Amino acid sequence: MAVLAGRLLQLNPNLIDLNAILSTPSSTHLLGADDLGRSILARLLHGVEVSLLVACVVTILTMLLGVFIGLVAGFYGGRVDRLLMQITDIFLAFPGILLAIAFAAVLGPGLTNLTIALCMSGWVSYARLTRGQTLSLRNRQHVQAAESLGASVPRLIMVHILPLLSSILVVEATYSIASVMIAEASLSFLGLGIQAPDASWGGMLRDGVRYMLVAPHYVLVVGLSLMSLILAINLAGDYLRDQLDVRTEK
Amino acid sequence: MKMFNVFTAFCCTVLLMAVSSCRQSETTRPNNREIIFAVSQAPLNLDPRYATDAASARVNRLLYQSLVDFDAQSKPTASLASWQEISPRLYSFTLNKNRAPFHCADKSKWALISAYDVKATYDSFAFLKDSPHAAEFDNIKNIRVKDDNTVQFELKTADSHFAAKLIIGILPAALIAQHHDFSHDPVGSGSLSLVSWQHQLSLVRERDGQKISLQEVKDPTVRVLKLLHGEVDLLQGELPVELVQYLQTKPEVIVKTNIGANFSYLGLNMQDSVLKQLKVRQALAYAIDRNVMMQKVMVANTRAAGAILPPEHYTNQYSLPIYPYKPALARQLLLEAGVKLPLKLVYKTSTDAQRVRFATIMQAQMQPAGIQLEIRSLDWGTFFEDIKQGNFQLYGLTWVGIKTPEIYEKALGSNSMPPKGFNRGRYLDAQLDQYLLNDNWQAATARINSQLPYIPLWYEGQFAVMRKQIHHFSAKPDGNWDDLATISRYAH
Amino acid sequence: MIKRLIGLVTVVFGVLLVTFLLIHLVPGDPVEVMLGESASSADRVVLRAELGLNQPMIIQFGHYLQRLAHADFGLSIHSKTPIIELVKTRYPATLKLAFVSLLIGLGVGLPMGIFAALKAGKWQDLMVSLVSVRLSAMPAFWLGPMLMLIFAVWLGWLPVSGMEANTSIVLPALTLGLGLSAILTRMTRTSLLEVLNDDYIRTARAKGLSESHVIIHHALRAALLPIITIVGLQMGSLLAGTVITETIFSWDGIGRLLVESIEKRDYPVTQACVLLVALSYVLVNLFTDMLYQLADPRVKLVYAV
Repeated sequence: MAVLAGRLLQLNPNLIDLNAILSTPSSTHLLGADDLGRSILARLLHGVEVSLLVACVVTILTMLLGVFIGLVAGFYGGRVDRLLMQITDIFLAFPGILLAIAFAAVLGPGLTNLTIALCMSGWVSYARLTRGQTLSLRNRQHVQAAESLGASVPRLIMVHILPLLSSILVVEATYSIASVMIAEASLSFLGLGIQAPDASWGGMLRDGVRYMLVAPHYVLVVGLSLMSLILAINLAGDYLRDQLDVRTEK
Repeated sequence: MKMFNVFTAFCCTVLLMAVSSCRQSETTRPNNREIIFAVSQAPLNLDPRYATDAASARVNRLLYQSLVDFDAQSKPTASLASWQEISPRLYSFTLNKNRAPFHCADKSKWALISAYDVKATYDSFAFLKDSPHAAEFDNIKNIRVKDDNTVQFELKTADSHFAAKLIIGILPAALIAQHHDFSHDPVGSGSLSLVSWQHQLSLVRERDGQKISLQEVKDPTVRVLKLLHGEVDLLQGELPVELVQYLQTKPEVIVKTNIGANFSYLGLNMQDSVLKQLKVRQALAYAIDRNVMMQKVMVANTRAAGAILPPEHYTNQYSLPIYPYKPALARQLLLEAGVKLPLKLVYKTSTDAQRVRFATIMQAQMQPAGIQLEIRSLDWGTFFEDIKQGNFQLYGLTWVGIKTPEIYEKALGSNSMPPKGFNRGRYLDAQLDQYLLNDNWQAATARINSQLPYIPLWYEGQFAVMRKQIHHFSAKPDGNWDDLATISRYAH
Repeated sequence: MIKRLIGLVTVVFGVLLVTFLLIHLVPGDPVEVMLGESASSADRVVLRAELGLNQPMIIQFGHYLQRLAHADFGLSIHSKTPIIELVKTRYPATLKLAFVSLLIGLGVGLPMGIFAALKAGKWQDLMVSLVSVRLSAMPAFWLGPMLMLIFAVWLGWLPVSGMEANTSIVLPALTLGLGLSAILTRMTRTSLLEVLNDDYIRTARAKGLSESHVIIHHALRAALLPIITIVGLQMGSLLAGTVITETIFSWDGIGRLLVESIEKRDYPVTQACVLLVALSYVLVNLFTDMLYQLADPRVKLVYAV
């Protein structure tokens, strides 16, 4: 494995070979070449880092922010809830695409601004989900009981509410990694993603679709890779959810 | 069981929809007689006084007639009218005797274009404050109608190229007076007229009633799929070369190619401290391998470019040298200019995948010359705004449909600094201005080619792909759609 | 109810304000777009004054709101069409596509989710999750052309794209609906399993009620909360227009209009689109909250919006 990886790492993802444009898999290009004759394998390996990094950073940031706001709104209810939900709604009602284009226009296109734009519209769904669940959990017997026994607010949230939320949040998070990867791909489709010559899986998938009639291997390789990765993330999420469930049972 | 019933209902609805849709598609095949043209960008505005985008300009050529048109060498020629230069400040136009009338639903009311219509059309620029073409006609002092067939333009200052500007489609005076909305309801006298404009632009040919529709299909792959499926009959340009070659292998379609006349180039910011130096610009010109790109990623008939106007243009009857790919020489020039290598430059382009692809190749080609190109692809609005504001180092663009040598003055003359003119790189060259003043095109193009305010790239080849039943349509060097006036479908 | 209406107005106002600020932040103004690059500075100044663009931003925003109050959206800069006309043709298209997509999403997602929950841990469950993950990993710009290739070019059943035929909606709706169904499958399965472990379900089971009775009358009802949330959110984004699907399928909806207006710097159109998107979002949200209370009587709080 290490030897293989070592060999792979020496592949240059940006090495253009105009004689190998869209060539099918061969000994020189194990998975074939893209529309500039670059090794698809090398670009997949290079691009997965970028795509995963963006997906993870966005997911973590949006989850932290969203869950916090959702918990506060759902737990306290009333005026606090109204205010926070109002803000959430403004973000949610605002077309994210406008935000993404505006960011690219003002700050220049690229990875950082892509991440910011995705974060700006991503936290909202966590906030909504968390708030909805918290509202419902807030009135359950065990929370009411703990409250009447004088448990502090952080304790109520950390011990009695958050654990019950965790499984649904983990599922949402694994989904969100997938959907952030696809959002990145979609922004790439609109040309607002990562800048050439760097690779991301979304950008590669877009290029693959462009040449699907003449070089089906390109879109097939990238599409299957993306599906496998997302499947793996989801399986990991399922495993994590089962673990968390066991803990709440105890 | 209520819930389950709901779900079953949902499933059934979906299934039913799928089934019924299959049946319907058998009966709702598109009308065989209509010819459908898939375009990447639909026209925006069919009022010739407002239209600026290429698609509108191309359709307007078919909807309206203009006083003047251009021949194969781009010399202005008589179209709706012939003209006489009475003096450099006074032009007289005589309308053709057997000219087509304005289209009108009621055929008995069809009226011939008269000199009054010409006057009304060009007079209207004086009060259209938001027309992008109004500035073109600032120089008109007054327009006099001599008789029904004759009209005279008097100018404020002498302009020997004035006739070539009168390419605006002529509108009926009566409707202009009523502030008719030509943008959506064009009334002209061209070979086509409007039927409806909802999801698609439906036109009819006056001569034989042939219906022709323009459908906007943005995605190149979808355009090809629709053509192969027979939903559209025709597409033109804007496909990667690989898809053109793929279509050439398909028996159900025909690919027609032609040379192109639209000039692609790299624009440079002449106020940039590095790009100001001639040697750096020369290095850039030598750091692009045009030949290999034309062979590998461009469509057939693409030609390397030396000047904005192509060799067949009447001002350009001599050949300019094409810069060869010499990365070592480029590196040498950069060092001579005292630039610290690698030289970092930012290259702005639109988000169009083909443009980004070309940019990526150039980026790789420039590397051995010691130039590190950073590509920034921006949405069209931002990109174009940055270009107009001079907020760039390098950018890539194409001049589409340019006919008159006035372009040299407008694009590179020192009197054409934005916001009044297209000298986006802020190029100042007294020598060039002098040549342009004397209409010395040979010296001017040579000067531009050696001073390199633009790095010339190529004239991309043109092509049109159509179902094999479609005849009498060919791709034109400037990409116009004039052959929609002759296109026809033969039954097989 | 009044509180909700106030909230509704606040959200729409907030969105309008943010849009207005963003538009002024991004380079490019309508006068430049209108006049191109050959007009004189004097002409520009005149036109700018005529359009009121020389006034302070806050006053411009005020004027804009004033016009809105009279239902005056203005004209498109490029096509000079009254924007109300544009919106009138574009929005129903988006509405139609969103509704059919949602139907497909629910029709596929809910049964699959319930099935997977019933068979939790068995091979059928695994199959369902494999399928739904695959669906969720397909971006519209990939799924769309694939569906076109299969159903239009190979099988010849449906048109590739466009809006002419009655059947044109099937492929874009499938593209959106299948993605949606993946999310719904997972959400349904997860929240059902969650609830199935709850005490009151155990009680219901202990009472000897049949498993399907337990699931439908007790579990599903409680599990509906997160499902409604997701459906509401998804419907909101469907109504915002789905730029990529609309672009690929040449579906003249509001999403495409919005993005094209931004690219062409046709700001009056942008503002009208954003307003519409915000309004539809707010209304969907209101509806979602009402469903919330219907679905779970335990939730008795009155929410804003």
